[in-house]
Amino acid sequence: MGVALGAGLAVSIAGIGGGIGMGVAGGKAFEAIARQPEVGGDVRTLLFITLAFIETLTIYGLLIAFMLVGKI
Amino acid sequence: MTFGMWDGVFFNLGPIPVDHLIFTEWVLIALIGIIAISATRNMQMVPRGLQNAFEAIIIFTYDFFTQLMDEEHVAKKWAPLLTSFFLFILCSNYSGLIPGAAHIEGFQPPTSNWNVTMTLAIITFFSIHIAGFSEHGAHYLSHFVSPSWAMLPLNLVEEVAHPLSLTVRLFGNIFGEEMVIAFLMFMAPFLVPSAIMGLSLLLGAIQAIVFTILSSSYIAAAAGAGH
Repeated sequence: MGVALGAGLAVSIAGIGGGIGMGVAGGKAFEAIARQPEVGGDVRTLLFITLAFIETLTIYGLLIAFMLVGKI
Repeated sequence: MTFGMWDGVFFNLGPIPVDHLIFTEWVLIALIGIIAISATRNMQMVPRGLQNAFEAIIIFTYDFFTQLMDEEHVAKKWAPLLTSFFLFILCSNYSGLIPGAAHIEGFQPPTSNWNVTMTLAIITFFSIHIAGFSEHGAHYLSHFVSPSWAMLPLNLVEEVAHPLSLTVRLFGNIFGEEMVIAFLMFMAPFLVPSAIMGLSLLLGAIQAIVFTILSSSYIAAAAGAGH
């Protein structure tokens, strides 16, 4: 019971943080491209790298959740 | 059973047990190799067909990495490795989309096991330091103590964190996607998983691109003039 709750919380709390971070980063990137369409390519590459870094933290949560599910 | 996955062994090659993941990797390597060899077997001055497509890919990747890594000779040196990373990870991610994969035992993309992704990340780890030493010589060591000696432990942790985060990112994404598809196959086997499968086409390509871009930016940071 506790392990199952922990697994759910691990991925959901990590998801909240990652979601907010990705939203802010993506929104700012679109704003930048809308203001200055000629830098679109550079901004897109940087955005992908940033999103990958943010995503890693969420994936850590997912990994812990899988490990906990394996223990049930 | 590790992580709910099947780990049966097909046969032993000396002391090395060969399981379904290694076998899938061999098939992918053979596939990429055969296509590449048949494209370049009798090359002509005016390219046609497959050779033409491959020349376009090579020129595109060289330009892309040159723009990303700022220095052309570094990009020329490392572009073959990084392009191989991209092709291998892409094919391996997509191998989970073969009909019947992910819910037949012994049929899963190699990148959803972290022995495979760790291997790729360790290759990147050594490439970073080889690139650093070959560009700067012994002077490369000074970047571990920049900006001051007090930062040495943090810099060392960072060097270990790079391959670890590459490993976990690729493994977690592909494994998570496979688990979601397997779960949907169990809940609603008809037509429902195809939505996630369509999404995983996009996801597999993005993860391959992200692994390649991050590796190239780490190599560029080690080989660049920043230190």
